[in-house]
Amino acid sequence: MEKGRLLPVLDSSIDEIYRISGGSSDLLINRFVTGGIHCALLCCEGMVSTSVITELIFEPITDIPQQKDSHGLFHYINEQLLLSTDRPAVRDYDTMFRLINSGFAVLIAEGVSFGLAFGVQGYSSRGVQEPSGEGNVMGAHEGFTETVRVNMSQIRRRLKSPELVMELFTKGQKSHTDLCLCYMKDRVPKSLMEKIRRSLDDVELEAILTTGYLRPFVENSSFEIFDSTGTTERPDVLCSKLIEGRVALLVDGVPYAIVIPRLFCESFQTLDDYAYKPYYAVFIRWLKYAAFFAAVLLPSFYVAIVMYHPELLNSTLFMLLVEAEKKAPLSIVTESLFVLLMYEIIREAGVRLPKPVGGAVSIISGLIIGDAAVNSGLVSTPLLTMTALSVLGGLVVPELNPQITVLRFVFIIAGGALGLFGISLLSCAVLVNICATEDYGFPYTAPLSPFRRKGMRDTAVRMGIKKMQSRGFTVEEYHE
Amino acid sequence: MNSISKCQLAALLLITDMFGLFCISGNMSVETLYGVLAGTALQLLAALVFAAKGGELSKLAAVFYLMYALFCGGTVFSALWRTSGAVYIPSESGNGIWGQLMTAGLIALVCLYSSSTGIKPVARAAVIAAAAGIFCLGIDFISAVFNAEWSNVTVPEKRSLAYEVLRGTALSGGLGSLVVLSGAVKGERSGAFVWYFAAKAAVSSVLILTVLAVTGSIMDITEFPVVTAAQLSQPFDAQRIDSLFLVIFAVFAVFSAALQVMTGALLIKRIFPEFVRWRSTAVIVLTIGAALLIWGRELLLVRASAAAAALLIAPLGAKKSAAVSSG
Repeated sequence: MEKGRLLPVLDSSIDEIYRISGGSSDLLINRFVTGGIHCALLCCEGMVSTSVITELIFEPITDIPQQKDSHGLFHYINEQLLLSTDRPAVRDYDTMFRLINSGFAVLIAEGVSFGLAFGVQGYSSRGVQEPSGEGNVMGAHEGFTETVRVNMSQIRRRLKSPELVMELFTKGQKSHTDLCLCYMKDRVPKSLMEKIRRSLDDVELEAILTTGYLRPFVENSSFEIFDSTGTTERPDVLCSKLIEGRVALLVDGVPYAIVIPRLFCESFQTLDDYAYKPYYAVFIRWLKYAAFFAAVLLPSFYVAIVMYHPELLNSTLFMLLVEAEKKAPLSIVTESLFVLLMYEIIREAGVRLPKPVGGAVSIISGLIIGDAAVNSGLVSTPLLTMTALSVLGGLVVPELNPQITVLRFVFIIAGGALGLFGISLLSCAVLVNICATEDYGFPYTAPLSPFRRKGMRDTAVRMGIKKMQSRGFTVEEYHE
Repeated sequence: MNSISKCQLAALLLITDMFGLFCISGNMSVETLYGVLAGTALQLLAALVFAAKGGELSKLAAVFYLMYALFCGGTVFSALWRTSGAVYIPSESGNGIWGQLMTAGLIALVCLYSSSTGIKPVARAAVIAAAAGIFCLGIDFISAVFNAEWSNVTVPEKRSLAYEVLRGTALSGGLGSLVVLSGAVKGERSGAFVWYFAAKAAVSSVLILTVLAVTGSIMDITEFPVVTAAQLSQPFDAQRIDSLFLVIFAVFAVFSAALQVMTGALLIKRIFPEFVRWRSTAVIVLTIGAALLIWGRELLLVRASAAAAALLIAPLGAKKSAAVSSG
């Protein structure tokens, strides 16, 4: 992008703009004379609101009385007319194009080497809707949208404190994506903010199209199975994280916010936990822990027990499994890998296909293929049951689903090759990896290890809100 | 500086000692319990002297602790090979020496990965592993309590108390690591030492008493009393839970070996600062070499002497300076 300053001669400046833009069709240049000065109003088609630009810019600007020069004209506009609340000055072509492409209208005039920009954004965007991924029964039904400023307003609406700071900046050499760093300045340690800013300074991407582009910059570079930063599409969840002293990063064009740092136990917490009575919340939470372990380990335990440790089964169950497995033509490991792979293909097809077709394909293929596989004897019923339970368990903790999916396969192979011994060895490696996951000094496994008794009150159990309000928890308590 | 909490150090060392206890062979009696408790008390005293004196290890002392770590690592692998037949590791059964080497190789691989992450993650993982292990052991041994014959606890001893004290002292594979890693412990070292030795005494007592109650009457024909006790502790009539013990056994084996490998790697870093890469790999290779040299022997006298030396050399071979860096 051209960094050159604006040219004072209007014709030359417009030629330069044409040159830089390559004559792009969506760049609109409206030349007109107002106050006796030759001017041009530049904007990007589809990015501005026609009605707003007509009412707030064109109508007042064409009524300007005669001015002695361009400086007088700009002075008059700045002092006498309130065309827009958002009015940055433009001194170079880089800024000019960034603003035009963000929905600003830029006014340039003969004889001045700067322009005036007016925020008249009017591009079409998705409205605030219910989040698609983070289901909630008792909480708010609003999710983030693709527009960063709408998302900022959603957070501000929930946290009206002046301590909430939102720093807007752009990244991406080509995309100039708006990013917003949100934090509570009385809760977040300055050192953490500095580290995050330093990490973001390393971003030299050409475009930022999703949160995944930025997460590697704010995460540890060593191999980590689990993510030490989280994402959420719920403003209420994000607000609770901000109050706990975390930092959020909003990305324009993405309806998700990155939360830094993230803890393992948070994947099992939902806003609903705080809407129900503590005893029910504790029950649900432990159900999720159990579901997670079942999702990762159930098929591999089945494989290991049937192949190497049948003494763990009682005689009735043992005979039942023998009866079921003796008809299956494949080995148990192959069979379980086949079933899981089949499920993953169906799931992926369901996700990628258009919504009305995707759901139907998932159900029909699941039913037909599953039924046919069992009836033909290709797959045993107990194995299919175990796999289905494991898959369902994984859906209980959607945030960990990618990790669960891969680990499930690896554990099946370990269990098939070495039985419970193999599963134990792999568990050790995974456990060490999880414990090694740490960002900016916040261990992913806190408050379990390093153990923090206070933290267990909202991890092992969920204590009452009255007790929580006096706790004043911030994530800094886990810093090592 | 990489720092760990006293709980984390205690968990790492406790796992090592528990693994040693799992692999203990030969007769057990209540004298064994006294021996373990006496050995633990003596070690605690020596450790408190070391904690009071403090200081940094001299290069010569570091060389000793490196040798000790290799020896202890070797005993871990050797004990694993000796016991693996009794706990049934699928890859090992029927595959002879290749099966044993494969088992050791797999554990070595996990150790190598663990040590590559540093002491902090392993220490954090050790707390979870120790908690889970003690929970599973609890299930195993609570079910044993109902079928236990408590009069077995008083079965007369066939060996002298001195022998049992020697055996109790030898059951401390983590003393070198205790000395080396104590510099990385947050807070007072003495607190960490008391924590560890108290936990060791408590868990060992429960374990030994339960083992005596369960296997006391068949002790003469029992090769590995703890393993046998776990196999006899069945909470259900129609199904067995031996494999639960296999899980604990494998997890504890990994952390025991990883502790020695990390200690060795830290000491190599201190002795040969220019040796940057492959430190853990070198330690693992040397450890398996030591295991092949030991090959199934218990070497109680050597282990007890080395454990005593490890705690005596610590205060004697310490320089008055800053605490040991954990790397």
